[in-house]
Amino acid sequence: MIILYFFILSVILGVLVLVLPSKKMNIMAGIFYVIAHISLSFFAHHHMDLTDSVYFKFDHISVLLNALLSLLIIPTFYHSKLYLQRHIRDVKRESQYIAAMIMLFTAISGVYFSEYLVILWVCIEMTTLLVGFLVLHDRYQTPIEASWKYLFISSVGIAIAFMGILFLAAQISDREGANLSVSYLMSMASTMNPVFLKTAFILMLAGYSIKLNIFPLFAATIDAKTVAPFPVNAIISTCLVNAGFIGVYRIYSIISMSEVIFWAQKVFLITGLISLIIAAVQLFRVKRFKRMFAFSSMEHMALILIALSVGKVGYYAAILHLVFHTLVKSGLFYQFGQIRALYNSGWFKDTGAYIKLNPTGALAFILGLLSITAIPPSGMFVSEFLIFKALFSSGYVFVGIISLILLTVIIYIFFKNGLHLLYAEKPENYGQQKALSNKYESISQLVLFGLVIYLGYNPPAFFTDFIQLAISGIN
Amino acid sequence: MIYLFIVLYGLTLVYFGLSERVSRFVYLLSAQGLILFALVFESLHETQLIELILILIETIVVKAILIPWFLNRLRKRNHLKRLHESFLPVFYNVIIIVFIWVLSFVLGNNLNFEELHTPFFSAALASVTCGIYFIIIHKNVFSHLTGYLIIENGVFLLSLSVGSKFPHFVSLAVLLDVLMGVLVLGLFLNKVRDTFQDISVQSLSKLKD
Repeated sequence: MIILYFFILSVILGVLVLVLPSKKMNIMAGIFYVIAHISLSFFAHHHMDLTDSVYFKFDHISVLLNALLSLLIIPTFYHSKLYLQRHIRDVKRESQYIAAMIMLFTAISGVYFSEYLVILWVCIEMTTLLVGFLVLHDRYQTPIEASWKYLFISSVGIAIAFMGILFLAAQISDREGANLSVSYLMSMASTMNPVFLKTAFILMLAGYSIKLNIFPLFAATIDAKTVAPFPVNAIISTCLVNAGFIGVYRIYSIISMSEVIFWAQKVFLITGLISLIIAAVQLFRVKRFKRMFAFSSMEHMALILIALSVGKVGYYAAILHLVFHTLVKSGLFYQFGQIRALYNSGWFKDTGAYIKLNPTGALAFILGLLSITAIPPSGMFVSEFLIFKALFSSGYVFVGIISLILLTVIIYIFFKNGLHLLYAEKPENYGQQKALSNKYESISQLVLFGLVIYLGYNPPAFFTDFIQLAISGIN
Repeated sequence: MIYLFIVLYGLTLVYFGLSERVSRFVYLLSAQGLILFALVFESLHETQLIELILILIETIVVKAILIPWFLNRLRKRNHLKRLHESFLPVFYNVIIIVFIWVLSFVLGNNLNFEELHTPFFSAALASVTCGIYFIIIHKNVFSHLTGYLIIENGVFLLSLSVGSKFPHFVSLAVLLDVLMGVLVLGLFLNKVRDTFQDISVQSLSKLKD
């Protein structure tokens, strides 16, 4: 019943923070929550493949993603403290922010560990609500627009995904002991009507695409990420994307037990390619860093889908890439917090001479830039190399070449804008508002980027074994 | 009787295409809630008390009373009376909705899955498609909210067509979805209005680079 206790604890902490708003309470609740979340990850690791609180289960993929979330909660709370100091100077609103963050982390963990598709869907719905609130936190015009779009399109997307679950339910409703758990559906998949499986897969992929930040419902996510506070972005661009991935991964696990798997892989390939093309084209038009990072998430998720489409040879690379993307993208958003504070703007045109103004931050940014574009020594070079190796060795030469061309375009845009930030002339309006700097702010990014390099080139055996076990359940 | 209620449900969809008055959208949604209750009640073979209470809450209390009441408040607060902002003339809207309705039934009958109750499935398909169409042709957020509710009613019909063994699970999930959608989106609609002094989607396009 540990997950149930964890949920109750989260709600209590959230309510306490809301009811007793004070800086001390926020810090205490944050620390207590971090300890609880890390403990949950350890507990889950030690109770692998066991069911908990009836509707949840600890499997390798969920434990891996939850551990990543535990790892990111610490820097996210630290950077949230800086964000609140800089932008929100109202204790009540700070408390609302902290309470919503606590609930968002809990809902994401709920998605990871859900064994039942309906519970997974409910937890995803909870994340929508909380992200809508967190995006709105600044309460000026553009967050209201972004928040409205996100809530509306997410609600429609989630309704579509629910229809997918209903199609699966239709296939098992007359069987003895039927339930909507992933394990049960996997065991029944081979006996299900392929048309129903295909319909369920398409509906769930389309519905969860808003969380996964891919075609077709990516637009509202991009807008939400453009205006969300940067620590929130560090989570919704990584761990929440992983939650969307889990939603799709669960239905794919079920499909993989049937003959429909090859069809599903083709759908992944087409969705991945379309998403990659959209990301590359849209990146030409972006004028601000957060939007650029948002489209970059779309690019990486597209690559992960393409890797899954190859089949067994691509699964390892897909999960490895997901892990590295989580670490790198969160680091980039933490770094963006410094850029935003220094220039008081997130637009490319308002930035420049970063290497002179903030050398440590610039070093972290260069490492982040190399990491996200998968240029050595980035660990993402290894995962992307494995993806392309899988593509070419499986005969997907044309897809591989197209993807490489699109990635080249994306790298060019990233470097063009990144080098502008680092080496362009200092902007004219620089220094009009004093930046609230913190000399320790870059540490979290350097640690995260360093970790990706280490895991990429010298992965410990337990890490690779863990990923292998995570993918062993699917065909 | 089930067919009669399905035809009535279809008529509400056609009427959505005809209407320009916002208050009529609200009444039509309320009528759909009542029809859905009648449909469920007719199709129940063995009535269990918990199941009946859940269905009552979901259809009559939430869909026919609570949501229309909330939408009415939204309508009055935002002084919404008539919306002349459909991309297409009313006549074409009606033809398209009827076409969607017929196509859904032809498709439902041709597929004829044993696992699905064909009339419910066809009505669900029509409702979801009409909801999406309604969102596409309108340019203000209140109509979008209405379209979303039509989609949700379609999802509810789909859950009936499945005739699943997990009614509580499904009912609670649909209930959560509807409540979240309406209450949160409704509150946001007020915020959009307060901030932009308008609920047209054209005012929600400042984010593009």
